[in-house]
Amino acid sequence: MPLNNTNIVSAAQTKFGKLEGITIREMFAEAVDKATVEAGIPKKDIQAAFIGTFIPEMLIHQGHTAPLLIDYAGLRGLPATRHEAACASGATALRAGIMAIESGLYDTVLVAGAEKMTSVSTNKVTEALAAAADDEFESSIGLTFPGVFAIAAVAHMQKYGTTEEDMARVAVKAHYNASTNPLAQFQKEITLEKALTPRYIAWPLKLFDCSPISDGAAAIVLTSNEKAKEYTDLPVKIIGTGQASASMDLCNRIELTSFESSVKASKIAYEMAKLGPEDMDFAVVHDCFTIAEIIASEDIGFFKPGEGAKAVREGITARDGDKPINPMGGLKAVGHPVGATGVKQAVVIYKELIGEAGKNQVPKYDTALMHNFGGTGATCVVNIMRRADA
Amino acid sequence: MNDKSNKPTIEKYKQFIQEGKFRAFKCSDCGAVIAPPLGSCYSCGSSKMEWTEISGKGRLVSFTVIHVAPEEFQDEAPYYIAIIELDEGTRVTARLSGFDPLKPEDVKLGTSMELTFIESPKGRKYLAFKAA
Repeated sequence: MPLNNTNIVSAAQTKFGKLEGITIREMFAEAVDKATVEAGIPKKDIQAAFIGTFIPEMLIHQGHTAPLLIDYAGLRGLPATRHEAACASGATALRAGIMAIESGLYDTVLVAGAEKMTSVSTNKVTEALAAAADDEFESSIGLTFPGVFAIAAVAHMQKYGTTEEDMARVAVKAHYNASTNPLAQFQKEITLEKALTPRYIAWPLKLFDCSPISDGAAAIVLTSNEKAKEYTDLPVKIIGTGQASASMDLCNRIELTSFESSVKASKIAYEMAKLGPEDMDFAVVHDCFTIAEIIASEDIGFFKPGEGAKAVREGITARDGDKPINPMGGLKAVGHPVGATGVKQAVVIYKELIGEAGKNQVPKYDTALMHNFGGTGATCVVNIMRRADA
Repeated sequence: MNDKSNKPTIEKYKQFIQEGKFRAFKCSDCGAVIAPPLGSCYSCGSSKMEWTEISGKGRLVSFTVIHVAPEEFQDEAPYYIAIIELDEGTRVTARLSGFDPLKPEDVKLGTSMELTFIESPKGRKYLAFKAA
């Protein structure tokens, strides 16, 4: 079934990074205010809220976050539900919002995500993140998240000749793009040499191959075709959405050089939009690790299997390349407050598609794809978006 | 009733490992060997499982060396985690034994491996493989 009624009419994120002295509800409220009242959308128009948070129970000892967060943001009383799919929590909240609008149940809804991660130790964060992998059979023998992607990297290197330098180039590109993004955690370029600093986290992945621990929130408002006109002349339409799951355990995957949930979710989204990778002007993909961006660029069909690294080397995925990927800096350099990430990806696409990405504006911006990945790749959500006048 | 007590469970699967034994699930209908455990067979769809012995032989599919470990494993880092494809066809995630964690470049994918176990400083056994 095609999507024909879902429009993004505003989108905003807080600064990502170590937001000292700011609690999750305060950053959430800031994102909501930016996406509603500050964008000319009265809060009273919002009829329901779909919220992504990953693991506040372990990070800040707080469950039942949806009513808590919307209450502080002035939306008390609305139906509010939290969606959790590890790092894809935000995009699963977004899909719930899409379904709510397409079904006709609501005209206008809020989709938002947030995570507060820096108030506990790195060990505690590592432990919380590990809860997104299979505790019985993989985390319990000492596999970590960087470890999961390192295993994929080793397989990719062996099969296709991808190198540590190729992965480092993804980091260099991310930091370059984030250097002009005032909301990014790292606004500083890095050299290839620095990206290759041999501080191994999970061999062959090094410090600069990994996204950081971050705080932050993001929010968007979705509305029907009819209502969209009240808020903006330039809505962005969500024209395709796909979601798929895969085994939690890496050992149950037939293929380690590609993530089957990404391939499936992309296929569903492309078919729904009646478009293909060649129709996408750019993409925002889940670069929790540098190798994840290389593999995602292949899984979404931008490049053939094994040619993702070459595309980075040749600058095809650079902001001014033929197929820009993560033009604002990605998770790698903007930060990865887990529950916020999937929503922030939609914020990036919205800003680029309406031509308001400032120094980070890509050259062509009619249609784009977002790819949000959960945990070991056990969940993937892909959405295709197009500016209404395109 | 006897049948019921022999029904494979995750708890027993993990208990076997602690006893230094590796037993896999086997689909009672099509014979597919399944480890780690699953409640349903992806070859035929059956949910009937029984225990099976495994050869302990396989090959190295991919691996990493964990340098930054969760608190619980910090004393053990750096250590190898690998994906091993058993001769029976199923793949497991396990530790590697007998390889220098500071020389991962020397480890070759496809290497023939055989079952062993590693014991953590706290006395916990991990499923592990060494070069055959």
